[in-house]
Amino acid sequence: MILLSLPSRTDRDLYPALMSPELNAKYPTDQKAFVRIDVSLRMYWHTLFDICPELLELSGLDGMSIFRPFMAWAGEKKLAFDWSYYLWVYAWLRQSPFKERLLADDKYLRSVMAASAARWAILDRGRDCGIVIGCADTTNLVIGWKCRSVRLGREIELIEPEEPLPAPPDIFGYFTLQSFELDLFPGWQSLAR
Amino acid sequence: MRLGFNFTLGDTYDMVQRLLAERHIDYCEFLIDNFFCVDPEELSKAFDCPIGLHIMYSKFLEADRPTLVDFAARLRDYIDVLNPMYVSDHILRFTHEGRAFFHLGEIDYSTEYESVRDRVLAWQEIVGQRIHFENYPSIMDGGREAPAFFERLMKETGAGVLFDASNAVCAHRNCGTPFEAWRNVIAEARHFHVAGYRHSLVEPFISLDTHAEALAPDTLAFLRDFRSVFDKPGATMTYERDDRIEFDDIVADLKLLRELFGQPEERRHDLALSA
Repeated sequence: MILLSLPSRTDRDLYPALMSPELNAKYPTDQKAFVRIDVSLRMYWHTLFDICPELLELSGLDGMSIFRPFMAWAGEKKLAFDWSYYLWVYAWLRQSPFKERLLADDKYLRSVMAASAARWAILDRGRDCGIVIGCADTTNLVIGWKCRSVRLGREIELIEPEEPLPAPPDIFGYFTLQSFELDLFPGWQSLAR
Repeated sequence: MRLGFNFTLGDTYDMVQRLLAERHIDYCEFLIDNFFCVDPEELSKAFDCPIGLHIMYSKFLEADRPTLVDFAARLRDYIDVLNPMYVSDHILRFTHEGRAFFHLGEIDYSTEYESVRDRVLAWQEIVGQRIHFENYPSIMDGGREAPAFFERLMKETGAGVLFDASNAVCAHRNCGTPFEAWRNVIAEARHFHVAGYRHSLVEPFISLDTHAEALAPDTLAFLRDFRSVFDKPGATMTYERDDRIEFDDIVADLKLLRELFGQPEERRHDLALSA
């Protein structure tokens, strides 16, 4: 259904649609508002599939069989789209028709955990230096470190602990580190939506 | 006009050193909140040149005061050690109803002036510093109201404008904001950005600020037409490049800017003093 009367004078008029393929479809395709929303949606697409291209093996090259239903699900749950974006994609895949293929190869899990750790390391502006992400589907941990030297970028580590930590109570858990040492386990925090 | 380059992460450290050594640039602009875990003293020794500090994620229009106070406390550590020529930030939206934009949003200039003005006053007071706020590469027609908004904001808050010339070109192409409407803002501004843009993938085409392409002919024409308004004592122009980072391509653009504005008259030492 096309709603020709949707307000579209300012960017602010479009805010709700900037993260909704469903709402974008209600704007006439020959109008600037449609393109502006399309630009925004492409950022969500590229942020997912440019960083985790393995997921395209599940969905097909255009990624839409993952992207569209995930974005609709994320809208219903009002996901914040913070650093945990990729982990929520995995959570959605885990209850989708892709579940069997997803769980058959842990490369998908490694990819989304690394992507979220990296996103935290580049976007978080709190005082913590690192984040540790764990998952109920693996005993491995992924750590993201913020930039600690002018010559370096963020750093991502995959850790296979000799003594596994207890599994997070939800699919994913995390804790943050106040120094550049992994020297404590304060317990898992659940992902915020 | 002093020319600079944006330094956002360590990947480009060696290239920025080379740009400085070969005198293609005169200063460096740190995307400072990317370096909040780097010792300020290390940062101060990174480059032998004047420094600008550009803030990306203060989110000062949305964050609560304790968060901003903590952010500002860390920012002050860098301001005190680096003695930057300027500190700049963005007027834009990071979220809607608690959900993050991945392509950041433009405010509504006609309805949000008072709330933005109050936030700008509070943010400058918290940081203890005049801040220069960057204009947005407008897409929608509300962007036509941006020049008057920034002009009024400067008058009523004492804030500066970090005028992004290529953002103004995008706004001109996308919503028809006349270059002439920016004249007073440019005349007041001392610190500038410039970069490449590209077109959207679908029609009707819009122009997107990407920091990944060469300077466009209309951007260079804008700079040429308003050259005397841009150039002034202490003026700086940061060339931004965040993707497709090729040394020769960047130098080619920097040479175009040098040809346009000429060699800066002041020596580096004088620039630091004029800040």
